[in-house]
This record gives sequence, structure tokens and C-alpha cells, in this order.
Amino acid sequence: MFRRDAPAEAEFRMEVRTWLEANLPVALRGRTTRPPPAELMPWYHTLSRKGWIAPHWPSEYGGMGATLNQQIIMTEELARIGAPHLPVQGLNHIGPILMEFGTDAQKTQHLPPIIAGTVIWAQGYSEPGAGSDLASLSTRATLEGDHFVVQGHKIWTTWAHHSDWMFALVRTDPQAQPRQAGISFLLIDLHSPGIRIRPIKTIAGDDEFSEVFFDGVIVPAENLVGKLHDGWRIANALLGHERLGTSNPQFALTALEQIKTMAHASGIMADPAFQDRLAAASINVTALSAMFSHAVELTNHARSLGPESSVLKIFASELLQTLNDLLIEAAGGHAPTEGLISTNFGAVDVAASFLQSRRVTIYGGSSEIQRNVLARRVLNLPS
Amino acid sequence: MDLHLTSEQTLLRDSAAKFIAAAGPKVARGFREQDPSFAPARLRRAGELGWLGILVPGATDGLGLGLGLGLTELALVLEQAGRGLVCEPIGLAAISAAALGQGRTPHPMLERVMTGVALVVPALQESAFGDDPLAPRTQVAGQDGALRLTGKKMFVCADGADGFLVSASGRDGPALCYVARDTPGCTLSTTQTVEGRKLATLSLADAPADLIPPHPSSQNAVDALHNLALIAVSAELLGVMEKAQEVTLDYLRIRKQFGKPIGSFQALQHQAVNIYIRSEATRSLVFQIAANADAYRIDSAMAIAAKAKASEDALIVTQACIQLHGAIGFTDEHDIGLYLKRAMLLSSLFGNAAAQRRRYVAIAGLTA
Repeated sequence: MFRRDAPAEAEFRMEVRTWLEANLPVALRGRTTRPPPAELMPWYHTLSRKGWIAPHWPSEYGGMGATLNQQIIMTEELARIGAPHLPVQGLNHIGPILMEFGTDAQKTQHLPPIIAGTVIWAQGYSEPGAGSDLASLSTRATLEGDHFVVQGHKIWTTWAHHSDWMFALVRTDPQAQPRQAGISFLLIDLHSPGIRIRPIKTIAGDDEFSEVFFDGVIVPAENLVGKLHDGWRIANALLGHERLGTSNPQFALTALEQIKTMAHASGIMADPAFQDRLAAASINVTALSAMFSHAVELTNHARSLGPESSVLKIFASELLQTLNDLLIEAAGGHAPTEGLISTNFGAVDVAASFLQSRRVTIYGGSSEIQRNVLARRVLNLPS
Repeated sequence: MDLHLTSEQTLLRDSAAKFIAAAGPKVARGFREQDPSFAPARLRRAGELGWLGILVPGATDGLGLGLGLGLTELALVLEQAGRGLVCEPIGLAAISAAALGQGRTPHPMLERVMTGVALVVPALQESAFGDDPLAPRTQVAGQDGALRLTGKKMFVCADGADGFLVSASGRDGPALCYVARDTPGCTLSTTQTVEGRKLATLSLADAPADLIPPHPSSQNAVDALHNLALIAVSAELLGVMEKAQEVTLDYLRIRKQFGKPIGSFQALQHQAVNIYIRSEATRSLVFQIAANADAYRIDSAMAIAAKAKASEDALIVTQACIQLHGAIGFTDEHDIGLYLKRAMLLSSLFGNAAAQRRRYVAIAGLTA
């Protein structure tokens, strides 16, 4: 929106666009929810064969080694065609973590299957008793000789029931003070004996996440990432990147197009009161694009974002909800209809989109927790 | 988030910060209801520093005075002016100089405006509602060299002004004209604002004027100046809300109630974060637009978006700052109210947030 493509970038954009048009199955375009693995993974494999599955990974690990501008172009073009959301725990989270903190053996074992799409990863952070207060987590990993024994319970684990491996925060020192100092970062094979996984249905009707029970699960000691009791630092190291990823303005731009479709269909587009709110929301989408470009520019110049990246996460997630409020308003009486609503201007799954958007201010640290972080660590307010 | 600046841009910002160290709330208070409500010597100083000719290309002004810099530099200086509650109309003078210098031959007033010896300000508004800037009711008639203006301009920052850049409708659509304050047929009636400065209604009855041609790269001189005005005022609003926020954060750290600094209470922390999010959003928006647009060819939708966002956020932020101060914030004695009043004035200029949004619907093609 603000950045103009350099000639080579414009060429790259056209190459991506043309290839996506030719290769992304029509049935996978414009989906509101993430399709199940049987439908989605063949597309993952297609991207992988093309060499485009990991634009942000260095080429030594099988990534594209793309520049940040190329990465933005990729996400813009994927959003433009309505590509489905891929499982990102491997590509965006454990992959980069292993590159920075993993042993050579861990990299060799785990990175190639992420690129190939033969292994799906899940993130085991939250527990029934440890949500916003994550440091109070109590899933125990006890070191017994050459292995850990894991006992406990993880929850809200996205796609755990489809996953092969989990990277988890586990308590290795129950006495440690502060509590963060007794947490380690462990890779757990979800096919191990003693693991039970129960999918949980969301208010949007899908089963995106699960709970995972560990009962005496044996995990080899070499599956520890980094040092013992140093897991908290590792989990936090890449948080800035994660927030940048979830703040991509393309989600908001897609929502804006859906609102227009429904507003034309219902006729509310002619209402000046609605127009004013749509203008305000649209201006905020422009502001989000500016914040995102600004953040990318800083990252481009090797300045890490740190806790201020929470600003982006809050602004992007709350704006997405405002947009979805407008979406159900535009849909009017159709809003509670289940499934796609077909109109002369296009088809939108209004209720699913609206319900899905409830999660964004909760996952990855709720808006309230992000505000606490900003107040203390960026605004330096006293505790 | 910090801005990514070149070393020259950082130097410019630092010198602007030095300039405002001599301004601030105390000085702004002193100028309330004065005539003019600023120090002419300080405006000349801004001219000496090159800020009034910041957008004027040095090679083409015939004087070598212009810095020929871009919108980022303009925004950096005006952000500081907003922070310091600077009363000298640096932004209005700088964008007027850009317009006076944009033709093949610069207007004779250019040198005096760039040096701060004279002041020219835009006169573009015609109603409180917010009008289409490209369809002014003010009419221009006659041939180039003998133009006459008739109409009425409102909300003009006429304090200390020697002339005006007036938008008017002519045979070929909207035209930008220069009219001198002391010219026959030009009368001003002024109103006092709560902020301390005055706004004027400029009545033009067959007043002689000069045509200001557009810059070669812009479609229309009125559109270009209007967009420039929106960005300039947005940058100043940004500075106002940032400084008000800093003053308020300091207060939250030292003011104690219930035996603790009030900034330790979560309800107030979240309020503080909310205003921080607003100023960060406006900051990214203003500076991303500035970094990617040519001063004479700003995309109207972007300029409107910036002014809508900055106007809304500055009012919300400065109001929250009063609330976070409690009773002391409601007193005239405390400075925090000065930021709210400056935000009131600037957010209303060239159309408030609601007026911008009304225009944005059509310009951005929202209903298309």
C-alpha cells in the first residue's frame, strides 16, 4: 500500500500471481476456516515442491532465503487469491527456534520434514491452570537418566489431533523462583505411549484445537532444546516475529472486501451512518498497513522489535473484530445464517468469519496481557 | 516504534527539538490573546534555519534558499512544533512557500515568506461542515494579470498574515490565487479561539489577486495545497498528542494515592496503553505516507486518512490525558489543558475527522 515494488519485485509478484492462479485448487480459495489435513496438505506439498513453502527460511535449511519485501509480496499474493491458512507451528515457530537454539542433530532430524510437510507440529504452552499466567504451568518433566518422564495436561493446542510432534514448555524445577526459571523447552513425539488427545469444538463450530494428556510419557533427554530450565527465554525469543506475522494487514483487507460485498447486497451501503463507520474502519486498515510496513522496515534494518510489537498485535486484532462487527451489521438479518451466504455481489461465510474473529484478541497473549506488558516494559509504569 | 531516519534527518529533528526547547507551554500561555499570537522574530529564526523553505527546491527558487527536502523532513519539524506548542505558524508558512515557489517563475512573495519576514497562509475552507475543496463557492474572474476574487473564506489562521492563498472556482475549475491582506476589497473579521489564537473570516469583494500555477508534477494547485495542509496539520497533531502523553505518563509515575503511584493501577495502565496505541498508529501513518509521497503529488485518500486519524486520535488522547490527571487536569493553571485546546484547534482546521471521513467515502471509492 505504501511501498512501491522495484522492477525486480514487480516481476517476482507477477511470477507468484501467475503460478498461484495455475496451481492453487479453486476449492481451497476463500475458505473462512482452515481445511482439514487431507484437503490442505497436498497444497502444502505443492508449495514445498515449488520451493516456496518457507520464504523466510535461509536456503541452507531448505527455505527460499527471500528478502523481506519478497516475503511481503508472497503473503499479499497468497491473500489476494484467498489461499488457505497453512499450519504454521513448524514453519514460523519451532523451525526458527531450532535454527537459533537447536543442536545439529535436532536440526537434521526436524527441519527437513517441516519443509517437506511430512510432519505437523503443535505448540504446547497453555494449560487448564495456566492461561494468561503461563509461568504457573505445572506439566512436569522429570529427568531420569537418559530420558524425561512427562506428566500433565496441555490445552487450547491448535491442530494437536492432526499433529505428529509438539514443542512444549514443561516444569523441570518445581521449587524455582521466579517460576520462569524452572521451565524447560521440550520436543515431544505425539505418537509416544501415554498420550491422549481430545479435540475441542470451538464456538465457530470447527475443532481447531485440542487438549492433550500426558501420563508417564518417556521423552529422550536429547529432545531438550537449549539448557535445562532455560525454556522461558527460548519461548520468548521469537515472540516479536510471531506478533508481526499475526498482524499482517491482509486479514483486515480481506474482511473489508467481505463487508463491501454484504453491504451492497443488503443495501446498507447507501446509509450515511454506515458509510461513516466503514470509512473509520477503512482508515484504520490503512493505519495498520502503515504500522506493519513501519515494523517490517525496522526489522529490515536489523532492529529487533521487542515488547513494542504488542502494539501491532492489539491494534490488528481489535481492528479485525471491529471489521467483523461491521460485517454482521452489513449482513443484517442474514448474519446468523450458517455457512456461505450467496449474493449477487459474491458469497461470504459471515457467521463463521465473525465467530472466528473472537479468538484473535485471546490467542498469543490476550489483549489485556499485552496491555500489561506495554504498560510495564514500554511505558515504564510502576508495578 | 522508532523511525528509521538518515543521519541528516536525525540532525534536522534534533535542531527542531532545540528550537522548541525555547517554546513550550509557558511561552504559549504568554501569547494567548496577543496580536499577533506569536513572536515574529521566532518565525524569522525558523526561516533562517531553512524550515519555511524546506519543500522549495533550492535550484528553482532563484534564491538558493530552499532546502528542497521532502515530506518526511517537513513532518519531523512539525511534529516537534506540535510537541512544543510552538505558536509561530511554521507549517502553514512552509506549505504556502511551497505553493508560491511551484510555478515556472516563483511568486514575488516567496523570498519574504521563506525568510519569515512576511507570512502567507492558506485560506481554503468555506463552511463549518467541511466542503469539497475542489468546488469552492468563491469565484475568480478576469485574465491572468488582472484577476479578481469574490467570496468568503472561513477559519483562516490570519494572525500576523500579510497575504493568503485562496481557492476559487474559475472558468477552468478550481484555481489557487494569492491575495494581499491590505488589498482593496479584502476584509477580515476575527474570532478568538479558546486556544489563544484567532481564526478569521476573509471576505473578498472583487479583490485583485495573482494566479498560482500548479507544480509541473501536480494536477491542480488547490488539490496539492489542500493535501499538503492535511499532512502538515496531521504531523503537528501527532506532536501534540505525543507530548501530552509524556506529561501524563510522568504524572502517573509520581502521583500517589492509596499509598502507591497511581500508574501502578491496572485500570490506569490500560488507559495509558490505549492512548499510546493511538499515537503509535497516527505516527506510523503520517510517516509512512510522508516517506512514500512527493510533496506536490500526495494521494488525496492518504492525506484524508492521515488527517481523519490524527484529528480523532489527538482529541481522544488529550481528553484521556485530562482524565488521567484528575481534578488538576481541569484547571487552567495546569499545562495539560493547553494540549487539549491545541488539539481542538488543529483537528478542526481544513475539516475535522468526521468531515474527512465523509470525503474519504467518495475519494477512496468505498461504496464503489
